[in-house]
Amino acid sequence: MTPQTGREKRGFWDRLLLVDRRWLYVVIWLVVMVPMLFPFDIKPEAMPPVRKLFEYIDSMPEDKSLVISVDYTPDTRPELHPMAIAALRHGFATKRRVGVLCLNTVMSLGLAEGALRQVSEEFNSRATTREDSIINGEDYVFWGWSYPIITVLLGMGERITRVFPVDYYGHRTESLPIMASLKNYDDMGIVVCIAGSSIPLSWVNYAHTQFGCQIGCGITAVSAADFYPYLNSGQFTGMLAGMKGAAEYEELVSEKMVELGYEWDLPRKGTEAMSSQTAAHLAIMAFLIIGNIAFFITRRRKQ
Amino acid sequence: MLAPISFLLLVTLSPPQDVMARDRPNDNGKEISVFWSPSGDTGVTSYRILRQTEGQQSWDTVGMVGRLARSYADTDVEDGVRYRYVVLAASETETAESEPSDYAVSTPQWFDTDRIPALFGVAIFTFLIVLATNLARRNRNLFIRRISGLDAVEEALGRATEMGRPILYVPGLSSIADVATIASLNILGEVAKKTAKFGTPLMVPLRDPIVYTVAREVVKESYTTAGRPDAFSQDMVFFVTTQQFAYAAACNGIMVRDRPATNFFIGMFWAESLILAETGATTGAIQIAGSDAIHQLPFFITACDYTLIGEELYAASAYLSREPLLLGSIKGQDYSKIVILTVIVLGTMLALLANVQVLDWFRSIR
Amino acid sequence: MKRRIPLILVLVLGIFAAIAFVVPHPSVRGVDDVMRNDVLRIIGAFSLVLGVGSIIRHHYMKIKRKAEHWPYSWVTLSTLVVSAILGLFGGIDPNAPGVLFRAGGVGQFLSNFHMQTLYDNIMVPLAATMFALLAFFMASAAYRAFRARNLEATLLLVAAFVLMLGAVPLGRMLIKPLPAFAEWILTVPNTAAKRGIMFGVGLGTIATSLKIILGIERGWLGGGGS
Repeated sequence: MTPQTGREKRGFWDRLLLVDRRWLYVVIWLVVMVPMLFPFDIKPEAMPPVRKLFEYIDSMPEDKSLVISVDYTPDTRPELHPMAIAALRHGFATKRRVGVLCLNTVMSLGLAEGALRQVSEEFNSRATTREDSIINGEDYVFWGWSYPIITVLLGMGERITRVFPVDYYGHRTESLPIMASLKNYDDMGIVVCIAGSSIPLSWVNYAHTQFGCQIGCGITAVSAADFYPYLNSGQFTGMLAGMKGAAEYEELVSEKMVELGYEWDLPRKGTEAMSSQTAAHLAIMAFLIIGNIAFFITRRRKQ
Repeated sequence: MLAPISFLLLVTLSPPQDVMARDRPNDNGKEISVFWSPSGDTGVTSYRILRQTEGQQSWDTVGMVGRLARSYADTDVEDGVRYRYVVLAASETETAESEPSDYAVSTPQWFDTDRIPALFGVAIFTFLIVLATNLARRNRNLFIRRISGLDAVEEALGRATEMGRPILYVPGLSSIADVATIASLNILGEVAKKTAKFGTPLMVPLRDPIVYTVAREVVKESYTTAGRPDAFSQDMVFFVTTQQFAYAAACNGIMVRDRPATNFFIGMFWAESLILAETGATTGAIQIAGSDAIHQLPFFITACDYTLIGEELYAASAYLSREPLLLGSIKGQDYSKIVILTVIVLGTMLALLANVQVLDWFRSIR
Repeated sequence: MKRRIPLILVLVLGIFAAIAFVVPHPSVRGVDDVMRNDVLRIIGAFSLVLGVGSIIRHHYMKIKRKAEHWPYSWVTLSTLVVSAILGLFGGIDPNAPGVLFRAGGVGQFLSNFHMQTLYDNIMVPLAATMFALLAFFMASAAYRAFRARNLEATLLLVAAFVLMLGAVPLGRMLIKPLPAFAEWILTVPNTAAKRGIMFGVGLGTIATSLKIILGIERGWLGGGGS
């Protein structure tokens, strides 16, 4: 190597170290935005907490219902809404009765209703027989919201129709066919609570501890560390943590649907977001590597 | 005997047994705990707790719990009044009622026996601190390991003075109830004495109004102690906003516009830690951070020049002031740590040994 | 005297709070609750007035002195006034309009601007924007400062690398046990280190409180002196 080329090379690394950080910001912006618009195919493989939840729902007795407690609010929607959608698809595709409620706040009602409308429409628009279609009051029920939390949680152990005399749409719950076989926690295979707060712990404290009902949870990635102890102790049957948890569950549900003959290739928001997340992580790792190489080369020169 | 509801029903469900009510110990009154053995029936969905005040006929339902529960805390009672309880097992169609419990009275207690271990620990700790401070009174040359972040304070202040640029001191975003904030204000006192001495401009933006009033007094007193009360200005310490990110934005604005030569981020921080520290780094300031917020420490360590980790934050005012009594208390903390470490090691060993099968033999002797 | 009164107050109240920790009786706990909640709240309310006074004074002085960047002070002061007026007279949310907007005409037009409107449309997006900046700052910190300078820094770097790779599907594709290893790092060495720091923090907290109660630490009084 001639001294001249050596100098050029050092100059390059020096310049790289001193690059204006706004270029880094542009790179981060691009790696998040571009995959969001043009997602690439990256298939997440389910981790044990996700697999456990999926398998439990998948293998629970047919007469048991799936109950989804939609307790997230618009601010955590990107992470948690895909979980609710995937759970509904899972329930409907495996022909379970599905009950949906909001325990925490009325702000979740719109999100729950939107998810139910979207997924029932996905099934009904492709249905050719009664068997294939999803009917409100028969295949699913949306109880809405009631207060206070403890009364709801304890009351559902006795008779749901007493806690929710009318459903979200104003029908008397006593008159809904689905309620005949969904009376209390005994008829629930599992309650999946999807929330950005600590409300899944209320389900554990009351429905699980006092009635023995199985509880699963879907939570944000930041709060995952707080929930792991309950998962390890078995108080949660399974757990979906953050966008990655949502994506893993979506993939399992999607595979299951294909297996059952629903080859619809429905949009999967969690999986799509994996492209952006992966790209951003890779970009930051690339920054780490390049930054360190440049650091070592320039340091050696100084020495 | 006193069937309030169920006498009309055909009772086939077996009732809960051994219902017992007693005052909740170690509390400030107004609570009675009710315990029972479960009904043998599997059809039970829940239990309802009924209460009767002495001298009255009626039974009131005071609560309901799930079928796996074995106790209930009645928090709606008056101290000194005698109550008794009945527990009702309910299935979907039937109920079965227990025998009533004995009468129980709720009373407040004068001493919380649950807190004896904590009290004991605090007593040992206080003793060690007092002992160490007394030793420090006699032996003035206590060894304290070097904390480079604190050694850098002098250099950082000198640099700011040379450059004629201000110093920014952010005492965290928490309230005065947070001991980290108090520790930070102690450090602020030392820093302010030095800025008073060097005549370096100081800026202390605040998020909590109470912390603002305290910080203003601290800085003012430091300037007086340093013999420069004239150099203190009300403008040095100012309240910004209570909104977390608005406060972070304001601090960023100060860093970008006024270009302080040194930034201190010392106290309690949340998600804004990296936002502050990276912005400070772009302005080329020397940055000294210190926090006991474990989740934010990695950000500070990466983006700042020096970081005080956890307890170094609490040792800082002693380190900076070099006051023997304060240094002594740090020794006291070290002694306490030895005690805690010994207990942890012993406890771990015992817990590990407890699982050794051979030891079952010793247990069987008992 | 000026120093002795605060020191005595701190000593008495500190010892009282310690007693209230072990005495649950309402005659003690009740007073403690009043001190912690009501008294603190009253002090907080008054100090908020001082705080607002501080903002106004700080920016008024800047404008008056025509200090550097003084036009920004106008922005602060005017937003302070506007939001105070909306908050005091405009009501909290659209369903409960305040006196300002109950009248017709201009009030009718302005009735869209409530505290909740301000909060939803200005505070929330601005706070979210600041929070989102974190992603950019993480990238620049990773590039600029996250260096394998010594053994500890190298360990930190490797751990960060493993965790980031383990958190995306690609990690498992490349090395199958990587996500499990990442989780192990998070739950075992990371938790152990955290607990170690927390012990130190706990002891430091008690020591600082003790030193203040006993009057050994006087940094908050301007430091030093006996």
